[in-house]
Amino acid sequence: MKKITILFGILGLLVTSCDDELTIFPEDSLSADTFFKTEADFEQAVNGAYVPLRTIVDNRAWLLGEMHSDNTYYARNVLFGATEQQEDIADFAIPSDNGVTTNTHVTNQYIQDYRIIARTNQILATIDEVELDAGAKANLKGQALFLRGYAYLELVRYFGSVPLHLVPVTTREEAALPLASSESIYAQIVTDVQEAIQLLPVKSQQTPGRVTSGAARTLLANVYMIQQNWAQAETLLREVVQSNEYSLMANYADAFSGNTANKNNAESVFEVQFKEGPEGLDGNFIYAFMPRPITAEEVASLTGTSNAQPVNGEGNNIPTPDIIAAYEAGDLRKNASIDSITLSGGFWKDGTYPIIKKFRDNHSLHNNHGMNWPVYRYSEVLLFLAEALNEQGDAEAATYLNLVRTRAGLGAAAGDLGEAIFNERRVELAFENKRWFDLVRTGRAVSVITAYGNRIKATPSDYYYPDGAAPRTNAFSNISLLYALPASESDLSPEF
Amino acid sequence: MGKSLKKIARTFIFTFTLLLAVNVQAQDKAVTGTVTSAIDSQELPGVNVLEKGTTNGVVADFDGNYSISVSGEDAILVFSYVGFTTQEISVSGKTEINVAMTEDATTLDEVVLVGYGTQLKREITGSVQTVDVDDFRDMPVSQVAQKLQGQLTGVQINQTTGKPGQGMSVRIRGQLSVSGGSDPLYVIDGFPITGGINAINPDEIETISVLKDAASTSLYGSRAANGVVLITTKKGRAGETNVSLNVSTGFQTVPMRGRLEMMNSVEFAQFKNEYYSDQGDPVPSIFQNPSQYEGQTNDWYDALLQTAPVQSYNLTVTSNKEKSRTTVIAGVYKQDGVVLNSDYERYSLRMNSEYDISDKVRVGFNLAPSYIKDNTPRTDGSRGQGILFNALHTWPIMPIYDDSGELTYFNRLPSSTGNIFSYANWVRSAQEIVNETKDINLLTNAFLEYKPIPGLTLKTSINSEIYNSRYKFFSPSTATFRINRPIPATSESSRNELNNFSWLNENLATYDRSFGDHDFQVLGGFTYQEFRQDRTTIGLDTFSDDRLPTIQGAANINRGSTNDFVQEWSLVSFLSRLTYNYKGKYLLTGSIRSDGSSRFGSENRWGTFPSVSAGWVASDEEFLQNIESLSMAKIRASYGVTGNNNIGNYTQYALINNVQNAAFGNDLVPGSAVSSLSNSNLGWETTKQFDIGLDLSLFNDRLAFVYDYYTKNTTNLLFNVQVPQESGFTNFSDNIGEIRFWGHEFGINTVNTTGKLKWTTSANISFNRNVVESLADGIDRVYGSWHVTKVGEPFGQFYGHIADGNYLNQADLDSSPQVPGRSTVGSIKLIDVNGDGVITRGGDNDDRAVMGNPFPDFTYGITNTLKYGNFDFTVVGTGSQGNELLVRHLFSTTNLDGVFNMLKAVGDRFRSEANPGAGFYGTTVGGGNVTGIERDWVNSRFVTDASYFNIRNITLGYTLSGIKNYFKSARIYASAQNVHIFTKYWGGPNPEISTQNNGQGDGGNLSQGVDLSGYPVPRTITFGVNLNF
Repeated sequence: MKKITILFGILGLLVTSCDDELTIFPEDSLSADTFFKTEADFEQAVNGAYVPLRTIVDNRAWLLGEMHSDNTYYARNVLFGATEQQEDIADFAIPSDNGVTTNTHVTNQYIQDYRIIARTNQILATIDEVELDAGAKANLKGQALFLRGYAYLELVRYFGSVPLHLVPVTTREEAALPLASSESIYAQIVTDVQEAIQLLPVKSQQTPGRVTSGAARTLLANVYMIQQNWAQAETLLREVVQSNEYSLMANYADAFSGNTANKNNAESVFEVQFKEGPEGLDGNFIYAFMPRPITAEEVASLTGTSNAQPVNGEGNNIPTPDIIAAYEAGDLRKNASIDSITLSGGFWKDGTYPIIKKFRDNHSLHNNHGMNWPVYRYSEVLLFLAEALNEQGDAEAATYLNLVRTRAGLGAAAGDLGEAIFNERRVELAFENKRWFDLVRTGRAVSVITAYGNRIKATPSDYYYPDGAAPRTNAFSNISLLYALPASESDLSPEF
Repeated sequence: MGKSLKKIARTFIFTFTLLLAVNVQAQDKAVTGTVTSAIDSQELPGVNVLEKGTTNGVVADFDGNYSISVSGEDAILVFSYVGFTTQEISVSGKTEINVAMTEDATTLDEVVLVGYGTQLKREITGSVQTVDVDDFRDMPVSQVAQKLQGQLTGVQINQTTGKPGQGMSVRIRGQLSVSGGSDPLYVIDGFPITGGINAINPDEIETISVLKDAASTSLYGSRAANGVVLITTKKGRAGETNVSLNVSTGFQTVPMRGRLEMMNSVEFAQFKNEYYSDQGDPVPSIFQNPSQYEGQTNDWYDALLQTAPVQSYNLTVTSNKEKSRTTVIAGVYKQDGVVLNSDYERYSLRMNSEYDISDKVRVGFNLAPSYIKDNTPRTDGSRGQGILFNALHTWPIMPIYDDSGELTYFNRLPSSTGNIFSYANWVRSAQEIVNETKDINLLTNAFLEYKPIPGLTLKTSINSEIYNSRYKFFSPSTATFRINRPIPATSESSRNELNNFSWLNENLATYDRSFGDHDFQVLGGFTYQEFRQDRTTIGLDTFSDDRLPTIQGAANINRGSTNDFVQEWSLVSFLSRLTYNYKGKYLLTGSIRSDGSSRFGSENRWGTFPSVSAGWVASDEEFLQNIESLSMAKIRASYGVTGNNNIGNYTQYALINNVQNAAFGNDLVPGSAVSSLSNSNLGWETTKQFDIGLDLSLFNDRLAFVYDYYTKNTTNLLFNVQVPQESGFTNFSDNIGEIRFWGHEFGINTVNTTGKLKWTTSANISFNRNVVESLADGIDRVYGSWHVTKVGEPFGQFYGHIADGNYLNQADLDSSPQVPGRSTVGSIKLIDVNGDGVITRGGDNDDRAVMGNPFPDFTYGITNTLKYGNFDFTVVGTGSQGNELLVRHLFSTTNLDGVFNMLKAVGDRFRSEANPGAGFYGTTVGGGNVTGIERDWVNSRFVTDASYFNIRNITLGYTLSGIKNYFKSARIYASAQNVHIFTKYWGGPNPEISTQNNGQGDGGNLSQGVDLSGYPVPRTITFGVNLNF
């Protein structure tokens, strides 16, 4: 019997320390308690902060910044429904009640920008508490500040007044903040990016693809351009030009990243990085830009893939007759930017649609490509500088404008220089999600879009409507300079 | 039910006696005798003989003989046997006591399994229901839960899909949670298992006790809130070695009733013809003459179905030696599915042994391995996810077979015909796609029991559960379950390998003591359980050869779906119960359990779960003694606290997502991001439940009646509270909110006739209700897929627009609220709920409203058993009233764009003011901009009543006599399962369906009652024999 008593005693002692037994950290992921300690941790965190940019430019930015302008439209597929989310953006018919909208693309843009902000806030809140190599710390912190500033610039341009989060959220109560004025958002961007300029290395000293002091200067100059603070913009832009880190590619077509080649080239100031392959770093935006329904063979003719699949639905971001007409005679950029595809199953006229060419490159797998997306190119630095100078009455403006025109095979611009710069931006930066912001920035959005809407309603067949199909009755009924805030956020936030 | 309870009691008295028996040689005085039945003077085996006030007891042998040593000459022997009146006989110095037992339908002296012990049924103060699974052994089903349908009061058991071996949903007292699990805790031979009970051969199970109120469940603490199901497996029985063989074989078919009525080829071509002509467009040539398709309908759905065989073999050997008892059950179950190429096989073995090592020490070992192989095509799910749904809406003019009689590969017509979705051949998909799971399950228990002094029992046990599951999916280039994938498609494969290991050490001490009329039992215990799961998933595509679906044969390993996962938890518990009764008349029980769990946040690691209950056996009071018709009346009440710890293992932590990788140039660099918010206060969901019940037995137990009313409040709901995503996060896991549940449960058992024709009936009906009392601060609702859960209203109601016919003409359109830019004459008219003059979906001016509720008003079951001579006959019926379903597949099967095949009824739609149709389906003119509202904005037309009554089972048996030289007994039977469903539900064959959503919405608790056209539940007819050697 003693043996049995002992046995029970042993069993009773099996668990000696409950709290140890009851603390189980996940084995398959790290937790925040143990992260943000080493340089590698912060490098990973900074890398992670770039990630939402891929989603933004792959899925959203061209909808909100380009198809939401007179540059591109959708190619109506009458057999296909559930396309109103995109159509509402192109048709300036986004339903908005009390300043909020349920449009999914608007909502997702907002969410992705705040994802960048949350990730950079996490970095910026902890990086100063950790001992790191000073150079590495400056570079990492500079990248985080740039990305936060860039995300806020997107938000303030799309929405105006948004919540201003600058520290990581840790509780449910902290999740919602009041809307901050666009002035205070811009002020924060200026603060962040000014600091980033000081911290970041120049392009030649930086890993290709990461943001640089040149990119930060361009970003800050962009802010000053919006604020019409021409002098400060000029200073920054001159610094970029004089850094000798950038030059125009000889051929316009070479300014754009290939599937694997020509990435982050001499003209590139900042581009969102994609990588073809199964790792999930790929883009598929050129597929979104195809008119539909498109057969596998027709897809293959555009992409060079061996496993092309037919694509159905409704094609988006189709160049409008307006942008096609905006190129001057002899502009080499026209054929580099736009070509056409004839669809055997097309619904519009003979099935031959214009299609964006400039980003396209052959790749190997269907719906998976590695072309980077240009955010800032050196040609835009030159055009910004031309504009900033012209606005200050400085005739040197024409010099910079003509650098861009010469590469396009064009002579000096004629007529009003301000108009010329504005038009030059349209064709030089076509499909790079600049058009809507330029219209807003220059105060032309309502008049240009109203006229554009009237053209579509008058002659829908010029804008890819099949015979008999007409624009929806609510088209061009809501031309406003800002997007309404997401309804799903409004539902959850007590602040708006 | 009377009969079943008797059998249960017999089993339990026996088991209980064995459990507590102490070797007779330790006692002082021997008494022997024979027990007979007073009715026919036949010897009665298996009668329990117990010395009153002690745990000393034996069981009469096969010939009714018993021998017991009692503590003294004044001892009192208690003789009990199911179906007979318990007798107490004073030894008074006698050495031989022969007893004639008189038959009695009393069921209240039975012993019932409760948490961590057993109790006399008459002394139970909680709400417990016990079922003898053997009563339903002939039901031709693979899962024990199927056998329980309709038997349990207050327990809703639905078969949500007909996939072999799958799809049973068990909800006790309507328990629900926003995001925590709602399955009850299953305890097999004392071991709370971590998986479900589907892997268990139902023939291994002897009884099932369902613990419903908090007093019964609170000893299971933080896992008890969803109710507890106690399962005991078969143990060695009294008597000599016994061998029994049960064999059955039969076939399954899909009844015609309830199948969707889809358009045939002519009707489809006619629709298409009208579609084009109504729009003023030229009609494509293939639709110009619909009658050309006369007799050429390809019924894709029917082509996927087959009549399928089912077989079951079970061999049971029991042996009861002086100091050891062993039971071995070997089972083979093979079922082909009624969908092509689906099959299910289960090979199972169980060995339960017990050994008496000495007078005071007993050990036992249970070992139960099983192997299950399950191959089912991807049948269930939405369009492009499940082939049944795909088949339903594939054009009937598309050929299944080509001219040479071979299965086609791919069907695609020119897009000018409106065929914008291409279809693979679903028959080929069913046949060629591998979707196979192989499970190995090993359950073991080992215990050591020691009784150092009379009344005190110490028991320690080690239990383990090992589960290995290998899943393999392979879709060759010639087949796909997706829509719009041309053949040859990219071949793809996924693997999932799962290893679970759980072990439990349990240490219990029980002390029984009586002082005069006062009976006490004290239980104390300490338990420790651990669980670990290792899971690996692999995604592959582009195989060089369809015949070699190996990992090395794939050109690509899909990084996004190739992952490793580890899940672990640990649970430390202390538990105690005190049971007291005075004269068996006033009953009182209190219990408490304290659980420390690794799942709970560091600031909230321990939860305590107390309960109290009391009972009053009123019929024992003198003032009721003279009411002749009253056999027994007991009133009982209980209150207690239980928890639900199904909150995820790591929810409390802020986790880092370390695959937020970036590219710079062409280089991949690793990236990370904080992906969730931490909550160190995270804890269990708390349920406080009050129960009051009445047990009544009348007319010499010919009529037994049970009633319970319960009310429970579940608070601290695990709730992924959505937070504004401006925070960078989507939600915060917190314990927030409250749901109140209440209900009434009635059970009745009657012995209708005795004598030559014995007819008994058991019936039950349950009313469960709930209301959401609160959610998080500032949040008054959460949405499911097409559902809303709103404060002040029942959980998980269907939510959408309210349909109001069509706009009949221009005047109607002009005078009615419209969807701006989309509504036209003939399109669907929706109710302007907020009265702002326009129809809006979502946002601040949302016009959606509650459309219905998936939960029934009441559920019921009725079982009739008749015996006449050698014949036995059982009918089981189950029903549900007032439950509704959302017929989600209508978004395709009534799509007005003519891109899919449709319900026949769509033919009668709005075509013009003069030809407005049945008022149900709108105009096709205007394309997706117009028709999309009717299709994509889920509206009340999708919701319909799904009340039903199902004749679940009919079994007819005949016991052969006069073959005693060969068998002890032999019985042949025929059994039919799912004989007929009476229902008005028109959305599909299965009114119990609740389709898993496969990526469309969460499909969880918030989104129940959705019909996406799942695997049909077959009607099964089998023939079998039970042989006892």
